[in-house]
Amino acid sequence: MDLITSVISLGFVAQVLRLMTPFYLGASAANFSERGGVINISVEGFMNLSAFSFAVISILTGNITAGFILAVLINLLFSVVFGYFTVSLKINQIVTGVGFNLFIAGLTKFLLVYIFSSSSNTPRFEGLPEFTLFSSIPFFGLFLTDYITLFCFLLIFISAYILFKTRFGLRLRSAGENPAAGESLGIKIRNYRYYGILICGFLSSLAGIWMASNQNSYSDGMIAGRGYIALAAMIIGKWKPVNIFFACLMFSAFEAFEISLQITGSDIPSQLIQMLPYFITILVLIGFIGKTKPPAADGVPY
Amino acid sequence: MNILFGIHKPDSGYLKVFGTEVSFKSPLDAIENNIGMVHQHFMLIDDFTVLENVILGDEITKSKGLSIDFKKAGIVLNEIIDKYDLGLDVNRLISEISIGQQQKVEILKLLYRRSEILIFDEPTAVLSPVEVEHFFKIINSFKADGKTIIFITHKLNEVKHISDRVSVLRKSKLVYESDNSNELNISDLSKAIVGDINDIQNSEKRNASVKNVEALKLDDISLTVNEVKILNSLDLTLMKGEIHGICGVEGNGQSELVDVIYGLQKNFEGNYKKLIPGGISLVPDDRKRKGFIKEFNIGENISLKGANLNFLPSKKINKISEKIISDNDVRVSDLESPMSELSGGNQQKVIFARETDSGTDSETDSENNILILVHPTRGVDINATAFIHSKIISQRNEGKAVLLISSDLDELISLSDRLSVLYKGEILKTFNRDEFSRFIKSDSEIEPETDPEFLLMLGKLMTGINDK
Repeated sequence: MDLITSVISLGFVAQVLRLMTPFYLGASAANFSERGGVINISVEGFMNLSAFSFAVISILTGNITAGFILAVLINLLFSVVFGYFTVSLKINQIVTGVGFNLFIAGLTKFLLVYIFSSSSNTPRFEGLPEFTLFSSIPFFGLFLTDYITLFCFLLIFISAYILFKTRFGLRLRSAGENPAAGESLGIKIRNYRYYGILICGFLSSLAGIWMASNQNSYSDGMIAGRGYIALAAMIIGKWKPVNIFFACLMFSAFEAFEISLQITGSDIPSQLIQMLPYFITILVLIGFIGKTKPPAADGVPY
Repeated sequence: MNILFGIHKPDSGYLKVFGTEVSFKSPLDAIENNIGMVHQHFMLIDDFTVLENVILGDEITKSKGLSIDFKKAGIVLNEIIDKYDLGLDVNRLISEISIGQQQKVEILKLLYRRSEILIFDEPTAVLSPVEVEHFFKIINSFKADGKTIIFITHKLNEVKHISDRVSVLRKSKLVYESDNSNELNISDLSKAIVGDINDIQNSEKRNASVKNVEALKLDDISLTVNEVKILNSLDLTLMKGEIHGICGVEGNGQSELVDVIYGLQKNFEGNYKKLIPGGISLVPDDRKRKGFIKEFNIGENISLKGANLNFLPSKKINKISEKIISDNDVRVSDLESPMSELSGGNQQKVIFARETDSGTDSETDSENNILILVHPTRGVDINATAFIHSKIISQRNEGKAVLLISSDLDELISLSDRLSVLYKGEILKTFNRDEFSRFIKSDSEIEPETDPEFLLMLGKLMTGINDK
């Protein structure tokens, strides 16, 4: 009974919307890269990296703003390297992505021990300032509690506008659909692929920063596959910003449900519940894959 | 062409446009000098609308310069579409429109960029006869507007029909130039194209003995894909020692018919009977996609089929390559070059050799007695075309059942023993050779010519108009 009442409350809905933030930022990040023709499975690693650098730099300098800015910059730097490998050197994008994920996982683990002598987590820190403008408004005040979540909701419209209504978006998509055609019209395809990857690096850095800020610390493995789930959401959302939003809602609903189950103390083993979002991801992908059509030149080096 | 359009840079020499010397670093430079090109393989984005495809790279933006002014762009495009009677809807997706319309989108791209010099690389290869007529009309209206058109083609009658001046390129050299098409001598031109006429080997003559043995029988075959009826109660019989031609506008079920016969499509209704032993060979329509593996060399591509060897030492592969090269007059600089480095004609010769067993040891290979050819000479130079035509006839003379699907009517008429018209998945009519052989004016394999009267009748049938 407790479970049902907790799930059908407004608070639950707000929880779903708030937990959607890293999923949507990650999916949107990957979408910009893939619309430009580069499969970027290292969204997972990029989220991990920015969560780590935001937490560590904030703690070491005592300055959240410095943490935020440097975390974004570090992600952009890694994105340039990722672009150099995949676009300039034309190395297989999946292999490069796996390489980045493994490298970042190792690097963060190593630095965590090196700096804090802990193999699991950093000390606690304050996190990003709260966004208070809506806090007195019912319902909206429950989930629009920070700037990144607010930006995330605006991003649904911003990304749709950029992709489909602007010159930049048209050219970026041409790089992902038929680069030879774009090049024959004088478009510098490689530049646009870099732009897509950089936007991906920026958005995934926000996702990572949100995660660390939300938990007021960085702990090893805290991204826990959210980057991969974001990729699944992007596929289910057919590479369209609004559809991706609904796909992300589904995944965050499962996460909120899992939290409700844990809080209400259900008999179901917690490991089984934690498995739920991933299990659902697989099921949904089985149903969706093959029916969705990625950008025609997605993953093809040019 | 790639030099003219700024894709490649010349090693030496210079290029002058409207009197000024230019040097192109990229296609953008060519576009800025009012040069536009329609590539043989269209440079279109399937998932974009006509409008998006056209404006890409030269977008009309709102005053701030960021967002695209779709409304204004639509007005500009519709003006051009109306002026030249292109009949396009700018809001349709490329994937939804026909090949003929896609070509018009390519043309629209050039007009939108105010191109004065228009380059067309084999523009008619993908068009039906009716579309070709319309295309020529558009070309003529460009001419009337003072534009320069460079028209690259393999088809001599089109050259005769449309061009004011003709140049012939052979083996990267300009070998022939004329000033006025009225004085154009087709046989001179053919000679210039073919070069030494002795280059063509074994010009086979068809032997008279047509064996009366059925090889393959399709009876009442219907096929529905995605709720669209593609094949409609189709009857077709292939006989041994006979070339059965299929003509029709592309997209009337040709590729599905091949899929059914070759076993790629199993969800059909009706009776399919293969009445003679041996397998079926296929020369597919799109050789780059379906015909070979472009990274493999000749011998490796040949060995993919029918090789019952588990180990393929490179010595053995090279021996196969050597045999193919010498038997088929394949021009290749290096024995181990990948297939992608061969010209279209030479690639097709290799595929043809593979599918007709002439490439492999006859004792190790089971004989295939049915041969399906789809556009066997599309995008193939005139020399290789003559070679392939003579090979097709020799296959027939050996007693194989040959199904020939082509959009080149002259080719069909000069080769076929029987000729069927396919329209909306149905055989509309079948002609025997004695019904149309009198229409063949010259039996030359270099460039067969056909009487326009019979072509007109076929053309009508292909668009579904049956006079009788």
